[in-house]
Amino acid sequence: MKIQESMPATKVERSAKFVKTGFQIGGNYIKHYSKKLFNPDLSRDELNENNASDIYNSLSELKGSALKIAQMLSMDRNMLPKAYVNKFSQSQYNAPPLSGPLITRTFVKSFGKSPEKLFDSFNPVSTNAASIGQVHQATLGDKKLAVKVQYPGVAASISSDLKMVKPFAFRLLGINEKELNVYIKEVEERLLEETDYKLEVRRSIEFSKACSKLKNTVFPTYYPELSSDKIITMDWMEGLHLKEFLATDPSQALRNKIGQALWDFYNFQQYELKAVHADPHPGNFLITPDEKLAIIDFGCIKEIPEDFYNPFFDLIWQDLMKDKQATIDAFRKLGLLQQNDNAKQIAFYYKSYKEMISLFALPYAGKAFDFSKPDFFENIYAWSDKITKLPEFKQPRGVKHFIYINRTNFGLYMILNDLQATVNTQSFRPVSKNNSIANTKRSHAL
Amino acid sequence: MAKATNKPLITPEQIRDAYIDYVLTNNEPPKSVYDFAKKLGITEADFYNYFASFIAIEKSVWAILTIEAVEKIKEQEIWAQYSSREKILSFFYSYIELLKTKRSFIIYTLKKHEKRLSAPAILSDAKPIFENFAEDVIQDGLDSGELAQRKFFTKRYKDGLWMQFLFIINFWAEDDSNDFEKTDEAIEKGINVAFDLFQRSPIDNLFEYGKFLARNGKLREKMGI
Repeated sequence: MKIQESMPATKVERSAKFVKTGFQIGGNYIKHYSKKLFNPDLSRDELNENNASDIYNSLSELKGSALKIAQMLSMDRNMLPKAYVNKFSQSQYNAPPLSGPLITRTFVKSFGKSPEKLFDSFNPVSTNAASIGQVHQATLGDKKLAVKVQYPGVAASISSDLKMVKPFAFRLLGINEKELNVYIKEVEERLLEETDYKLEVRRSIEFSKACSKLKNTVFPTYYPELSSDKIITMDWMEGLHLKEFLATDPSQALRNKIGQALWDFYNFQQYELKAVHADPHPGNFLITPDEKLAIIDFGCIKEIPEDFYNPFFDLIWQDLMKDKQATIDAFRKLGLLQQNDNAKQIAFYYKSYKEMISLFALPYAGKAFDFSKPDFFENIYAWSDKITKLPEFKQPRGVKHFIYINRTNFGLYMILNDLQATVNTQSFRPVSKNNSIANTKRSHAL
Repeated sequence: MAKATNKPLITPEQIRDAYIDYVLTNNEPPKSVYDFAKKLGITEADFYNYFASFIAIEKSVWAILTIEAVEKIKEQEIWAQYSSREKILSFFYSYIELLKTKRSFIIYTLKKHEKRLSAPAILSDAKPIFENFAEDVIQDGLDSGELAQRKFFTKRYKDGLWMQFLFIINFWAEDDSNDFEKTDEAIEKGINVAFDLFQRSPIDNLFEYGKFLARNGKLREKMGI
């Protein structure tokens, strides 16, 4: 494994990295258009591909939050053309590791001991990068452990990284920078939470306890006494990552079993706990040899507030969308329609968001849903392709909670698609509420 | 006091600790060696047995911490497996950890000798210790091929690391981040940059190529380039 030789040091250097990417992207455009002079048939795919790989290269050198943002953008596949997604997905796996002495240093700071003294054995070469940290294997007694070590200075660099990413997100998604602030802030909050390893250990223990009744899902044991604000120690889980698992050509029954476990895991949290593991990227799961789903990362938790939970899930579960006025009321509550929209705008956004939410809700329509069907995803891509071209969608709409809820659910759909699984989608439903918008505020004026 | 002839009642460590305590309590050195010795209940001669002056005590604190850091890192089981880059990184992390135990005094000595990077007289005892250590590590790196052998510059590698030494301690002295986390970053990044420069790089190849072209100038003319 190649050890990363340098990490851009100061903010200036990190900015320089981004600037370089900017130049490269500019260059890609020039190349693209000069080629196009001679070959008018050239599609934008190649250009997108070039851009994505340059952005990916520069992000993976930056590490930390920038890498996390790459992951996040890649999760929002519904918002990005396919070529970007393929490149970004790489960042979900390995990123180059940091030096051995710094790992020792982090241990000495946390426990007053080097990792070799704290554990019976400790492998100084990390097995995985976890975007804001890296994972090492260790043993203690008869236990095999996974030890996650956070890069120093991650928390401090998150805000400054996000500031630099903004113009790129703006370019990629075609969004007005000012409008983006509320969303960037939401992302920043989640990312900062992820740097708090003590919080993560606490939540991991809470969530694995709350989810312990779920079938076919297993969680590692966490060791708070061997964890600190920069280190998390948990059981080493044996198993395959999604891609490796799929390479073993599992039977349909097994795909469905794992898919159902995933579905139940997410929907139980979403509906019953009202707080959800909002990081559904394939690196956070393993499929164990005894055919169970192991959840190995609780860094990112999105709590779902009532004022989002009720209107949003009512739309999906209450047949609300048959009633135009009720739907419009719900859209208002969700910020999809805004105060000063005129009648024409209301008609337009009503139609567009109804399409989006219908797509989102499609798996819930019947008893079971077959995620291997390509047309469902083609429709999602087609819808997002369409809206990215529409000037009406240049500014984002909707309350900030959409970011993580969309990311979670579409991310889940994508994984189920990769698994080619058919799952029972009715296993968990929203907890019924008396104040659901179906019963109230019908009189809300248009 | 009768038996205090050739075996003084005090060790150099005790003198050093008393001096540190005095300085930190009063924020200035004692008025004179005589005065200081009197307060300690020793003779001036006892003092001069070990130290030529107060400055000598301060220098010795730095030197001892530097020796301690070098010894400590070499005790690590993993030491033998470390590359030169990792050895130097390991030194600085341990060093900063040790400096922390005497932070107030260390900063006092740094502040007192204002002309920092240019003339760090206070480090004159620590410098050869560090340089010896660095030279050994660099030699290992050259032997293993980790570092590039360059005609005039190889001898300068240790100077580069000394510059990093000065930079890092000054950075640390000003660092107000939690648990000096920023100093950790400064070490990781600074040392990595230094070692990237010590390694064989495109510049070496460019230089080689230039040399080759210069030597084969005639051939070039024939080819009409």
